[in-house]
Amino acid sequence: MKILVCIKQVPDLESRFKPNASNTWFDEADLAYRMNEYDEYAVEQAVQLREECGDSSDLTVLSIGPDRVVEAIKKALAMGCDRAVHIQDQAVSSRDPWQIASIISAYAREHKFDLIFTGMQSQDRGSAQVGAMLAELLGVSCATTVVGFSCKDNVVTAKRELEGGVKGVMRMKTPALVTCQLGLNIPRYPTLPNIMKAKKKEIIALPVADLLKEESLAKTTSFHPPAKKGGGLLVEGDIADQVDKVLALLKEKTAVLR
Amino acid sequence: MDLELTEEQKLIQETARDFANGELEPVAAQLDQGGDRGPLLANLKKLAELGFMGLNVKDAHGGSEAGVVAFSLAMTEIARVCASTAVTVSVNNMVCEVIQAVGTEEQKKAYIPKICSGEYAAGSFGLTETCAGSDPSGMCTQAVKDGNHYVLNGSKIFITSAPYAGVFVVWAVTDKQAPKGKGISCFLVEAGTPGLIIGKEEHKMGQHASATNELIFDNCRIPESAMMGKPNDGFRIAVAELAGGRIGIGSLGLGVGLAAMDYATRYANERVQFGQKVSSFQALQWMIADAYTELEAARLLLMNAACRKEAGKSFAKEASMAKLFATESANRACYTAMQMLGGYGYTRDFPIERYTRDARITSIYEGTSEIQRLIISREILKNLG
Repeated sequence: MKILVCIKQVPDLESRFKPNASNTWFDEADLAYRMNEYDEYAVEQAVQLREECGDSSDLTVLSIGPDRVVEAIKKALAMGCDRAVHIQDQAVSSRDPWQIASIISAYAREHKFDLIFTGMQSQDRGSAQVGAMLAELLGVSCATTVVGFSCKDNVVTAKRELEGGVKGVMRMKTPALVTCQLGLNIPRYPTLPNIMKAKKKEIIALPVADLLKEESLAKTTSFHPPAKKGGGLLVEGDIADQVDKVLALLKEKTAVLR
Repeated sequence: MDLELTEEQKLIQETARDFANGELEPVAAQLDQGGDRGPLLANLKKLAELGFMGLNVKDAHGGSEAGVVAFSLAMTEIARVCASTAVTVSVNNMVCEVIQAVGTEEQKKAYIPKICSGEYAAGSFGLTETCAGSDPSGMCTQAVKDGNHYVLNGSKIFITSAPYAGVFVVWAVTDKQAPKGKGISCFLVEAGTPGLIIGKEEHKMGQHASATNELIFDNCRIPESAMMGKPNDGFRIAVAELAGGRIGIGSLGLGVGLAAMDYATRYANERVQFGQKVSSFQALQWMIADAYTELEAARLLLMNAACRKEAGKSFAKEASMAKLFATESANRACYTAMQMLGGYGYTRDFPIERYTRDARITSIYEGTSEIQRLIISREILKNLG
C-alpha cells in the first residue's frame, strides 16, 4: 500500500503576530515554527497504518515551503515515515488553498497513492479546504474531520465528527483521502534515536515551479488584528431612567425582547 | 561562528518540552508533596523509551547518539517542569557515559543498555561520604582483595536514586598506604548484592521526588571483574569523567531559573496595583531585564561547554564556569521571581516556592560553587606555568 501524508509547518500559536509589510499575511521574522497540530494526528494515523501493513507498504511525507519546513519533515520521518518530499516554495504563504491542492495533486497523480492523510485544517490559515480539494483533483473518495479510522481489504471505515456531538460512519474504497481531526489518536513523541536516524532517510527536493500550474482563485487583500472595541456604553440617570434606557437598547440592538 | 541549533537538536528540544508539558507537568507539584513515587518511575520509564537516558551514548550501546548540546537542551526543558525528574535523568546519563568511557566491553554490554532502555529505573554514583564531600579523596570506604573478589566495607551518603537504581558506580580505597587520591578504585555494584544496604532517606528542602539515601557496605563481596578502569585510578576517573555532569546540573539550574522567571513575568504583566500592571513599574522591569540577561549568559556558557565536549576539546574549566554561573543565576532568578509575586510567591498555591527550593541544591551538588571556583582558578593559574 502506498501512503501519503501531507503536513504543514505553522508558527507556534503562542507567538505574537503582527501583519507583514504588505498587510497580506503575518510577519514571519523571529517566529518559532512546528508541525501543524492536526497534521500530527494525520502522521500518527499514517504511521499506524504503515506499521499494520508492514514492509509491503511505503509511507511518504510531503510538505511545501522554504528550507525551514525540513524540521517538520524530519519530525514526521522520526515518527516513522519512510521518505519525504520537500516542495521548495519561498512564497508558500501567498498561495491560496486551490494552488496548494493543485501543487500536491501534480505530485500525487504520478505516484498513485492508495491512501492520503491530511490534517483537517491548518492552525494558521484554517481554511480546511486543501484536503477536500486534493481529493477532488485526484478523483478519489474523501472523508473529512475524521475521528476514527480503520482500513481493511482496501476499504476505509472513517468515523466523522458532525455538529452537536453527532458522529457519522462512512465506508469508501481506496484510493481515498481522509482529513484528520484532533483526538483521532494519540500522536507519538518521536524517539531520540529515530530523530538522529531520520537524517539518513531520503528527502526529495522539488522546485515548486515544476508542479505549480494554477493561478490563485482567492487572494488575501488584508491581514490585520481585529479593531479595538469601544469602551462600552455607560447608562446614566436615576434607576427608572436607566431601566428604560437599557430596555430600549435591548429592543433596538438585540433579539432578546422581540 | 554559528549559534543556531541543528534541526535534530531543535526536534530533541521540542520533544523534551512537549513531553515535560504533557507528562511531567500534571504530576510535578504532587510529586513535590512526597509520598508515592509511582508517577516519577512511570515517567522515567517513558523517558528511557524515548531515548533520554543515553543522549551522548553510542547507538551500539543502546544510546541516542545525539550529543552533549542535545543533552543540555533536554535537561533544561525537563527541569523547567520537574527538577526531580531532571536530576534523575542527568545522573542516569552520566552513569552511562562513565561506563562508556572507562568500562570494559562486558561492563558496557551489561549495564548501559539496561539504563538506556529503562529496564533499570536509574543508575547511581557512590562517591560522597560523611567525611568526604568536597574532598572525596579523603574517603574511608574500603575494598579489600580476597581471592578473585573484593570485599567492600563502609558507607556513602547523598546517593541520588539509590532505592530504585539497578547499578551503582562506587569508589573505594584499595591502597591505604598510597598518597592521597592515588589509592582509590572504581567499582560497579549491582542492586541486590548481599551486603549492599540502602540506608535512610534524607529529608531534603527540595527535589523531593528524587530519592537521596545513605548506602552501606557490610562485607559486600563483588567479583574482581566489577572493577572499572585500572586499580587505584578511581580518583582520576571521578575528576575527569564527572565534569560532564556539571553541564547537566548547570542546564537543570537554567531550566528552573527560566521556569521561575517565565511564570513571574507573565504574572507581573497581569497583576494590577496602583491602577496599573506591576510590569509597568521600572523596579520590576529591571528585575526582568537582569534575571533574563543572567539566564541568557548562563545558556551561552552551557552551550560553549557542551560544544567543546562534543568536539572532543578540553571542557573542565568551561563546564565549571557554566555550572557555577547557571546555578547561581537560577537561585537569584527564583528569589527575584518570588519578590515579583510578593506574598503569593511564598505560598504553595504558586509554583515559585517549589522552584526556589529545587534550585537551592544546584549550587551545592555536583561540586559546590566554591569547588567550581577552585577548579576554574586552578585551570587559569596552571597556564601561567
